[in-house]
Amino acid sequence: MTDTQHSVAHKSILPAWIRGPQDFFGGIALMLIALFALWASSDLQGMQGFSFGAGTAPRMFGYLLLALGAGITAVGVFTEGPHLQVYAWRGPLFVMLAIVVFALCIRPMGMIFSAMASFMVAAIGSHETQWKETFIVGVCLTAFCALLFPYALGLPLQMLPTFLIR
Amino acid sequence: MGDLFSNLGLGFGVVFQFVQWTPSFLGGMSIPIPVNILLCLIGALVGTLVGVLPGIGTIATVAMLLPITFGLPPVGALIMLAGIYYGAQYGGSTTSILVNIPGEAGSVVTALDGFQMAKQGRAGPALAIAAIGSFFAGCVATVLIAVLGAPLTKLALAFGPAEYFSLMVLGLIFAVVLAKGSVLKAIAMIVFGLLLSMVGSDIETGASRMSFNIPELADGLGFATVAMGLFGFAEIIRNLDAGGEGDRELVQQKVTGLMPTRQDLKDSAPAILRGTVLGSILGILPGGGAVIASFAAYTLEKKLAKNPKRFGRGAIEGVAAPESANNAAAQTSFIPLLTLGIPPNAVMALMVGAMTIHGIVPGPQVMQKQPELVWGMIASMWIGNLMLLIINLPLVGIWVRLLRVPYRLMFPSIVIFCCIGIYSVNNAPVDVVLAGVFGLVGYWLIKHDFEPAPLLLGMVLGPLMEENLRRALLISRGDGTVFFTRPLSASLMAISAFLLVLAILPSLRKKRDEVFVESET
Repeated sequence: MTDTQHSVAHKSILPAWIRGPQDFFGGIALMLIALFALWASSDLQGMQGFSFGAGTAPRMFGYLLLALGAGITAVGVFTEGPHLQVYAWRGPLFVMLAIVVFALCIRPMGMIFSAMASFMVAAIGSHETQWKETFIVGVCLTAFCALLFPYALGLPLQMLPTFLIR
Repeated sequence: MGDLFSNLGLGFGVVFQFVQWTPSFLGGMSIPIPVNILLCLIGALVGTLVGVLPGIGTIATVAMLLPITFGLPPVGALIMLAGIYYGAQYGGSTTSILVNIPGEAGSVVTALDGFQMAKQGRAGPALAIAAIGSFFAGCVATVLIAVLGAPLTKLALAFGPAEYFSLMVLGLIFAVVLAKGSVLKAIAMIVFGLLLSMVGSDIETGASRMSFNIPELADGLGFATVAMGLFGFAEIIRNLDAGGEGDRELVQQKVTGLMPTRQDLKDSAPAILRGTVLGSILGILPGGGAVIASFAAYTLEKKLAKNPKRFGRGAIEGVAAPESANNAAAQTSFIPLLTLGIPPNAVMALMVGAMTIHGIVPGPQVMQKQPELVWGMIASMWIGNLMLLIINLPLVGIWVRLLRVPYRLMFPSIVIFCCIGIYSVNNAPVDVVLAGVFGLVGYWLIKHDFEPAPLLLGMVLGPLMEENLRRALLISRGDGTVFFTRPLSASLMAISAFLLVLAILPSLRKKRDEVFVESET
């Protein structure tokens, strides 16, 4: 899982007492998630006598996660561990953008348009993309999906933009 | 014994069911179609097709293909899903043998010797042995499920809420102990999953929890959504920054001479047998069954071999043993799901998701109320394994060609497929965005060396655990010692505590790491 060749030494930026930055920041992020969950479930009812309220279990797991996050952070402080890995921005950004484009277009524009648009946006995510070939594959894939989902699988999906149907 | 045969008979009856199809263009003539066999075949084929794509593991494959089974009747859907599961596993081993990119942790060890064999021009025998080993393991495991199914169901019916809760704790602890990497991090992932499962309305009071008045969240986070994000999108993003093409080293020679020689068969027969036994046992245990099984089988073969140096240089036993073990484990892991209703690993958790969508609550009741569903599925496993053996060997050429599809074209296609799939679950665009967000979360988890599989397991078990915990405490009038005073529950808890202590003990931890270390050498 770990691609060590991507981990660059960040020693200059981080203080020396953080010996395992990967665990340290991982633990901190988990603690933040736990705190957020505790805050979000703070308005829920707690224990009533010996029966659980709606908020009991979320709070229980929230505190547990908080403790575990603290433990992982401690591991990051006290033991030597791997450095942070470098995050790429291009892949995540355009894949996410493609997903958002799809979500925004599917209702008003139908599947054919959204699949095609989303395909092209996702393709920007790789620097190896060649446009002509991508376009051809995109058209073929869209056609394939337009046949597969509604006909072969019987899923009711709107194909064309709403303004064309009316 | 009579029970066993009548049950299996019922199962095969379901699988071989014919449906009369009367198309209008034949003018009233009707053709009998073995629907369930066809579904099993399609499932196995499609599963292999997606599983073969490098970098896409079993969990991702099953998650991605989940939506295509929604339109089917429950029996058909489950049979198809089971087919997809085996197909994906077999596809994963094909990739590790031919490209040295194991799609999932379970086939990491297969890549060690399998890829070496492929480099020596023996890809054909390696693939064939993997298929034969898997088939044999599948047959044994199917029988085992049939034998253990009924008695375990009876046991499960004696379980009260306290026992169920303890059993789930045990399952989660097993998942931690048998998983790779840090114990602390694995537990944290489970708890994160449990916390995520709390989103949505409370089962008993109906109060909305952590849903921030977003209507799509009121029913909780969709299981398919999270799985698709964590395993589908996250993998895509990660593969993108690994450079995609850089480390793909496809065996360029043509795959010729599929059939293994007599000597190959002789060498691998005992390995297949040992792998099957080891896999069947480890598979029943909750936790990362298939993964640990393949590692353990490989280690065992290496220890038993007269000349351990051959391993890692193309020893056929090194392919046969882990492949049989992981297939056996993959199948026996259905046992806890079908009898107790508790998914032992992430793929089984997806199965629970699928069953719930079809309105089936997995557990001992299913075996009694819908026997045709359970036994049909068990029988279809055997058929599915047979099909894999028959279809995959001739189709190896096609899979090889598929591996040559460049990643730059493959990944946008996968993105679109996932998007349409998620959207079709609820017709909700918000779900698609949520899956994307979980994709980013998954990418972050991978970067920090957190395993996403325990998270998924925690998420499925969350509601079950909460419900049983609440009930147990309600029945005992708030007395928390109930988990330790009822004998069955107490022994389950004792085993969990014992396992946890063992996992943390330094000496055993070293052993555990030793089993997993094969992948790095």
